[in-house]
Amino acid sequence: MIRRVLIVDDDREMLLSLKEGLERYFESFRVLTAEDGMIAMEMLKKKTVSLVVSDLKMPRMDGFSLLAHIMEYYPDIPVVIITGYSTPEMERLAREGGAVGYIGKPFMIEDLARKIMATLRHESEGGTLHSVSSGMFLQLIEMEQKTCTIRLVDKASGNRGVLFFRDGELFDARVGSLQGEAATYRIFSWDEVNLSIQNACPQKEKKIQADLQAILLDAARLKDEADEETKPATVVEEREGPEDTSKTEQKSEGSDSTEGIKVRLEKQMGTMRGVEAIYHDRSWNGLIAQASRLGRFFNIGELKLAYIDRGEPNDFIVLPDKENTVVSVNPRCPRDKIMKAISEEMVSR
Amino acid sequence: MKELFNDILSITDVTGVMLFTFEGKLIFKEFLSPPPEEPESTNWWRVFLYSLDGAQEVDLVYEKSRFYIRKTELGYLLILMGILAPTAMMRLNCDLLIASLKRIKSTKGLRGLFRSKK
Repeated sequence: MIRRVLIVDDDREMLLSLKEGLERYFESFRVLTAEDGMIAMEMLKKKTVSLVVSDLKMPRMDGFSLLAHIMEYYPDIPVVIITGYSTPEMERLAREGGAVGYIGKPFMIEDLARKIMATLRHESEGGTLHSVSSGMFLQLIEMEQKTCTIRLVDKASGNRGVLFFRDGELFDARVGSLQGEAATYRIFSWDEVNLSIQNACPQKEKKIQADLQAILLDAARLKDEADEETKPATVVEEREGPEDTSKTEQKSEGSDSTEGIKVRLEKQMGTMRGVEAIYHDRSWNGLIAQASRLGRFFNIGELKLAYIDRGEPNDFIVLPDKENTVVSVNPRCPRDKIMKAISEEMVSR
Repeated sequence: MKELFNDILSITDVTGVMLFTFEGKLIFKEFLSPPPEEPESTNWWRVFLYSLDGAQEVDLVYEKSRFYIRKTELGYLLILMGILAPTAMMRLNCDLLIASLKRIKSTKGLRGLFRSKK
């Protein structure tokens, strides 16, 4: 994950030379620039920034005011102060204000780069995880009562967010300009994230009062509803013929069942979003027989359908009829909705 | 071990949980009301689990109930529930449980998991 470092200085020549000097570290971080605190504040709203390097004396909004603003609204973003008017008193004030570094001008660009990289390393000191479900992971954080800052990147959109935990309690969250609970709903709607863990939580004020479980539950419900409202995007592609000898061609004697399902799905789901194919396949007989036996064992009636995820690109919905009608679906298919639609079709037969 | 499953058992309309090894040995079971037959009364489970053919996740919908089945580090988790059970929450809780089982297996081993419950 490439980080962004925002450098704030009203001295344009200084800004340019820092930008050029730090470009050689582009594999570790990219440089953004702002000419005063006000511009920096606006950039922080729009861009995800990992670290701020700021001058102290600037027009409109000086470095101390910017530092205070960052500590209040972006406490996870470390600030390094650079100044040409360094005094012990100013350094004390900057550090008390929350600055993680203080460098007097003139300085070697390499020294600043070292400080930046050492500070950025803290972002992932607790480890990084790729392609995980945020809900699952965050409940572990709660269970283990961890204090940490978690930075997440949504794999689908590339959007970034931050969550703050203290002793396992969710204190705050941020995504773009969203903060608090609103930000958590956005983050928990992400299916797969990459995340890094920092073993510290700079946010001391608890801005989220709701319980994590309740938020996750609401987020799951909202996501389900959103999935149902999503418009269909793909057109069904019916399989032309069997792939092996156990499969029968769609337009054979069992074609009524595939037609019925197709009509029902089109009626309930528009153009059958995510449905790849509908066909007959007797190779599922073994599973269907055993699943039917399971139903008899627990006296819960006949098997109406089986949804199987084998960890392959497509999942399968198998309907236990004479030839086993199979609906092959891709990950875009709203699972619960299609299962409901097919169940209703089975009942109406 | 029961507390690991409490969250799942407290979900609306969930009526029972069973955890089997991949070989069909029952590791854990808990039902909110007694099932018609005890799962231990048959040695058929291995055949059933074999028929899943390594599936990661299976939903079986019956006339009166449904089974949600998840592959875990230890074996297969079978959850018996009514039609009204909130499936998104169920999957979320299973994600959490699977992670917990994985962690427990790696730190204590399977034997430790059960000894602590005796």
